Amino acid sequence: MQAKTGDTVLVQTKDKEVNGILMPVPETEEDIVILKLESGYNIGIDKKNIKTIKLVKTAEKKKEKKAEIKSNKKLPTISILHTGGTIASKVDYKTGGVIAGFSASEMLELFPELEKIANIKSRKIASMQSEMMRFVHYNLMAKEIEKEVEKGVDGIIITHGTDTMHYSSAALAFILEDLPVPVILVGSQRSSDRGSTDAAINLISACYFIANFDFADVAICMHENMSDDSCLILPALKTRKMHTSRRDAFRAINSMPFARVSFNENNISFMIKDYNKKSDKKLKLSLFNEKIRVGLIKTHTNMFTEEFLTYKNFDGLVIEGTGLGHLPNEEIDEYTKENKKIFNSLKDMIKKGLIAVMSSQTIYGRIQMNVYTPMRELQEIGVLGHLSDMTAETTFIKLAWLLSNYKKEEVKELITKNLKGEISERVEDKTFLS
Amino acid sequence: MQLDYEKLNFKCGIEIHQQLDTHKLFCNCPSIIRDDKPDIVIKRKLRASAGESGEVDAAALHESKRDKQFIYQAYSDTTCLVELDEEPPHDLNKEALEITLQVALMLNAKVVDKICFMRKTVVDGSNTSGFQRTALIATDGFVETSKGKVSVDSICLEEEAAKIVKRTENEDTYNLSRLGIPLVEIATAPDIKDPEHCKETAKKLGMVLRSTNKVKRGLGTIRQDVNLSIKGKSRVEIKGFQDLKNMPKIIENEVKRHLKLLEKGKEIKKEVRKANKDLTTSFMRPMPGSARMYPETDIRTIRPDISKIKIPELITDKSKKLEKDFKLNKDLADLITKSGKTDFFIKLAEKYKNIKPLFIADSLVNSGKEIKRRYNKDIDSSEHIEEILDYLNKGKISKEAVFEILVEKAQGKKVDYKKYFLMSDEEIKKILKEIIAKNEGAPFNALMGQAMAKLRGKADGKKIVELLKKEI
Repeated sequence: MQAKTGDTVLVQTKDKEVNGILMPVPETEEDIVILKLESGYNIGIDKKNIKTIKLVKTAEKKKEKKAEIKSNKKLPTISILHTGGTIASKVDYKTGGVIAGFSASEMLELFPELEKIANIKSRKIASMQSEMMRFVHYNLMAKEIEKEVEKGVDGIIITHGTDTMHYSSAALAFILEDLPVPVILVGSQRSSDRGSTDAAINLISACYFIANFDFADVAICMHENMSDDSCLILPALKTRKMHTSRRDAFRAINSMPFARVSFNENNISFMIKDYNKKSDKKLKLSLFNEKIRVGLIKTHTNMFTEEFLTYKNFDGLVIEGTGLGHLPNEEIDEYTKENKKIFNSLKDMIKKGLIAVMSSQTIYGRIQMNVYTPMRELQEIGVLGHLSDMTAETTFIKLAWLLSNYKKEEVKELITKNLKGEISERVEDKTFLS
Repeated sequence: MQLDYEKLNFKCGIEIHQQLDTHKLFCNCPSIIRDDKPDIVIKRKLRASAGESGEVDAAALHESKRDKQFIYQAYSDTTCLVELDEEPPHDLNKEALEITLQVALMLNAKVVDKICFMRKTVVDGSNTSGFQRTALIATDGFVETSKGKVSVDSICLEEEAAKIVKRTENEDTYNLSRLGIPLVEIATAPDIKDPEHCKETAKKLGMVLRSTNKVKRGLGTIRQDVNLSIKGKSRVEIKGFQDLKNMPKIIENEVKRHLKLLEKGKEIKKEVRKANKDLTTSFMRPMPGSARMYPETDIRTIRPDISKIKIPELITDKSKKLEKDFKLNKDLADLITKSGKTDFFIKLAEKYKNIKPLFIADSLVNSGKEIKRRYNKDIDSSEHIEEILDYLNKGKISKEAVFEILVEKAQGKKVDYKKYFLMSDEEIKKILKEIIAKNEGAPFNALMGQAMAKLRGKADGKKIVELLKKEI
């Protein structure tokens, strides 16, 4: 009988015998066998050095633990919907493989604090890293949220990979209309299987926030700083992942966070007073059209026309321009002829129906396309976005959502109109780099 | 009471942890241990995420029950986001791996085909990540001792933990400057025969490690954990030996403790104990279970290349060579090799043919200590000695001046070498005459004393004696 991952085996090599449990081997390393020794250490043994592998004991099947969860009528009910990502990754201590445990009882075992805050329901709706997501997944999440709302829960938490969590939060903010309860997206930068995970505080803070306040918007809940003592409730449409790895990677952009949750001190402080409150409204969904194609192009020096031409058959294009909303569109001297070509192709593409919207690669600040002549020329040919302070990511999501739900002429008008708090009329000084 | 360890079925193995003198294992921060005021202070909680393997980790549970808050101190200039657990590990420090492979080969061990870094769960807060990164590098080695071979079961490379600053009921404070320093761990089989043998084995392994010349020196840079049991009963691990000298006595006392427990019909608990100052031991924590390791998925497996590893000469062999080649006495030869300055000494001794190797060796390893004793100033003489010996070799300064110049350097002064240049015979005679004239009838020794005080460093002692005799 062939030994399988998890089985205990005796490996005979040229010069020794090794006893251990067979571990999964990464796809890129098929020339080795990985054994977990009794000491707990894994070692790799070259297949070419192995004479025989004898099966000693087949892997024991783990029994699923099913604990009864009693509901407490005094507490609100929160549904946790899992989509995958770091927050949902747990390593199987025996095989080293990533396993998923998403039942409510497993959640309570990992995060026992939740029991005192709310009645927890929990289920998996997807299992993916967030960068793999497509518009269809935003619709899927929205439909699952709708189901939970219909069941009468007091709030919903979506666990989500962090990389594109701000895309999803923006998408949900547009899709979910007349939302009667809060939807909080929670991720983690350190996986739940490690002692130092930020998942616990993020999740507990989100639950505490839902359970104790009348807030009913879409938001993100993540660490405020490197310490485990406070989390921020961040606006769905004005937040961005600003660091590859830090716990406090998520920052409000051109906006203040909604609130700070200091769970250990049982304290929530609001920084934005104006938000949607819990209600009896009937949730409506305005879903994405999964066929809509919107591109996102970052301008740079020495650009070529072909870069723009990639998007010639797209419905929309978000341009991440420089500064106030520039792109290389003018022929200045004998070396800058390509720039004029870029301008002409963009003009042509827009004429043929592409909706082009400017955003800024500075991340912070507002687009102002009147300040310099080249930008006025861009406005002349139909580049939109003047006076928007949306991030490029929010602009991308909004454009795709508008194209999914409105006629082109309406889209052009609505893209720079504030619908759900995505564009701030005034930006306070302290929002920068905070 | 003399114990018969064989009859007691004494089982004993040792684990050595040695810090390496390189940058950190998984980032480019320098391995500088600090205790000055930190400019970064953060608060964290660690969670015991027990249960994945179906077993609850006893050690993890013990810690998590306390629900402690951890305060971490860090420094902008010598610690980075990796120590703060805010950035995944960089690639493995190649130099640290090389040193570990050297140690493995010196201990006749078999290096694994592929190295898999693991996360060893640690929830006492000493690792910001909640685990220690560790990998098994080699197995099945041995070390020769006076009582036969002691098998070396494993040689691991791992991260040093953060240093505890303060423990209170609700909060533990750690300093992150130590976290991530490469640590070589050598674990022997329970082949050690008695307490003295344990000390000998520890010393031998320490010598092997120092032979790489790439290990940290000083208090706390090497640590020994002793595992022991008697009569087939539970194993106990003892940590925190401050001085190898006391190791045999502490082990003996621990064995006596076991005997007493057995006499009273009590159980010997499987636990980790701390070596106390009074050479007894006390309870530290339960013995960690084996379910505490899982793969470090942020680091790819590594294929070690031992074909290019140079095996360093053992310090003991080097000492013998110095005795023979440079006519050094054993003590001085040992001092040189233990200080890790062997290669530098050989270079100086070969370069400066006019100076006795003995003098070079003495200046290299003893002058610093002497300056510390007399002037309470720290100086690493090897930083300055070459420049000074150069003058001596050319005959421009006296042997005595070498020490004087080092003292000035230690005091942070800028040395004016001209001041130390040897005087001509004429100049010396003139000064001697003055001294004799002032102290008419004084005995030779008194005159010599005054002459030395005035001429120290400016004339060779022998020459002064010679000229003084002539002048009287």
